[in-house]
Amino acid sequence: MPAETAKQFEALEASAQTLLSVFTRAGYEAVSPAIIQPAGVFLDVVGETLRARTYVFTDPDGDELCMRPDLTVPTCRLHVERHPEAAVPARYSYNGPAFRFQPMGGDLAHTREFRQTGIESFGIANREHAEAEVVATIADGIATAGLTDYTLRFGDLGLLRAILRAADMPARWRRRLTHHFWHPPAFKAELKRLTTSPGAVSEHIPKPLREALDPDDPEAAESAVAAYLDTNGIEAIGARTTAEIAECLLDRVADARAEPLAARTAALIQSYVGIVVPARQSPERIRALAAEMGVNIEAAVGAHEWRLELMARAGIDLDRATFSAEFGRALQYYTGFVFEVLTADLGPRSPVAGGGRYDHLLKAVGAPGHVPAVGAAVHTDRLLAALNGDAP
Amino acid sequence: MTAVTTAATEKLILGVPSKGRLMDETAAAFAQAGLTLRKTGNERGYRGEIAELPGLDVAFISASEIAWNLKTGRVHLGVTGEDLVSEQMSDAATRVTFLKKLAFGRADVVVAVPDCWIDVRTMADLSEIAQPFRRAHGRWYRVATKYLNLTRRFFAARGLANYRIVESLGATEGTPAAGTAELIVDITTTGTTLAANGLRILDDGLILRSEACLIASNAADWSPATRSVLDEIKARMAG
Repeated sequence: MPAETAKQFEALEASAQTLLSVFTRAGYEAVSPAIIQPAGVFLDVVGETLRARTYVFTDPDGDELCMRPDLTVPTCRLHVERHPEAAVPARYSYNGPAFRFQPMGGDLAHTREFRQTGIESFGIANREHAEAEVVATIADGIATAGLTDYTLRFGDLGLLRAILRAADMPARWRRRLTHHFWHPPAFKAELKRLTTSPGAVSEHIPKPLREALDPDDPEAAESAVAAYLDTNGIEAIGARTTAEIAECLLDRVADARAEPLAARTAALIQSYVGIVVPARQSPERIRALAAEMGVNIEAAVGAHEWRLELMARAGIDLDRATFSAEFGRALQYYTGFVFEVLTADLGPRSPVAGGGRYDHLLKAVGAPGHVPAVGAAVHTDRLLAALNGDAP
Repeated sequence: MTAVTTAATEKLILGVPSKGRLMDETAAAFAQAGLTLRKTGNERGYRGEIAELPGLDVAFISASEIAWNLKTGRVHLGVTGEDLVSEQMSDAATRVTFLKKLAFGRADVVVAVPDCWIDVRTMADLSEIAQPFRRAHGRWYRVATKYLNLTRRFFAARGLANYRIVESLGATEGTPAAGTAELIVDITTTGTTLAANGLRILDDGLILRSEACLIASNAADWSPATRSVLDEIKARMAG
């Protein structure tokens, strides 16, 4: 692992300092969040997938700790520690190591110890403004470090949410589709299920119970479930209540009574997900699709277009940017805009930098409510590889 | 010192479970092939031999450590469960070679939920309740298991990421009732213990059908001498 030699670390430190000076000049206060983090709160946020790649250990007191797998969550924790009310505007920058187990042993672009130099912007209500500023600041940093030949990729989970919200379907179907979005096969299967047989699962409910369930009478449903368990000698164990079980069953009965999702709507949702176009053409393309679906999502498309405009004004060359509707799928904590910086040599699997909006994260680490948050980090090892022309 | 090391590497090392039913059943499986597995020296010791194969030494090893010994090449051959091999190696196919299923130690690694979850029969149902559970309880549901890697791989392949694993090294089937987990991934033979603890296996919740196997290490030092012992074992066990 070349990046884990002392010499390589010194070179990394030099380019990280260049980035950090650009970030601090732009008003992002340099902070040093802890490397060792409590595993519980951290891993609850990142999900079990990243957990499998996180170095977790137990200290002599029996506390479960981890080596931070990124710096965003630690910076969120630092902010909540400083400002328990959390909803105060703040801009932070950081530079330091993060740690991830690399299943196949890793390579130059994927080392178990890598350096992230990044920025986070919290509590800024003007979303598009904060997002464009983060992209422009990262672009300024990598340009100052010497990297000029790169492309940008944008995505926006807010657009998908807007499309689902506008499409004609029950709220629980929207929630389910949003939940499955990050896993393409499950998303596709769910769309198919909703267009063909949304009520099929309800047939698994034992018949006498099914007949006793009425979506218009949730309280009766709860006692019907309790009675069913009692009659069949099934003990109610664990944290999940009969009310929760009844709610899920009621949704299924409601699904069985609902009109299936229009095949045309499902097809248009799938075709939205497949959009990959030059960024400049994306607003027009999405508007055309919305018109075809007969839905109004102008607020979301307008925000997307305005963000592009703000980035252009900040000096971002949009001709090198692509919009990809499904980008952001694999990154569970993002909630809206996402972007990454790619180079031809390192390829699409090894972005030099990336980030986006994650409005739920501060609440997840202890803030009293959701706080607007957007940030991005440069993978310094890859930046150096790109500058040196070392393809992995 | 050198002489001992050389002698040791020239012999084929066979790792077998060091006690209990697994040890007895391993000996019985070899006996069926006309091979007499026995301890040498002290009955409580950890060295042994197969009387018919002078080029082989037996190492009695804790059942849970045989997979690791195969992975690192400390033994040439070992008898252990497929569940432990799959759990301890993400790339088992490149590290070991399965030679023969031994028809004992049969057990299934399964996903089991409280029987009272009448709305959850499949992995898809389990995925569907992830968000509602979090809305109601402010956290993801917890899966108690000792099979961390098997669980992660199985859940990931089915698109499930919104859960937490709680490591459990014993009495796993009691964790949902005790309130320390919502569901479990565990080994079962008849399902009786699961049922006694109010749990039910999901319709598509079978992760792995496991039994004891004779397994060769790809990382061990294979000399012509150890290879010829291996060939003889294979010939006898095949019969």
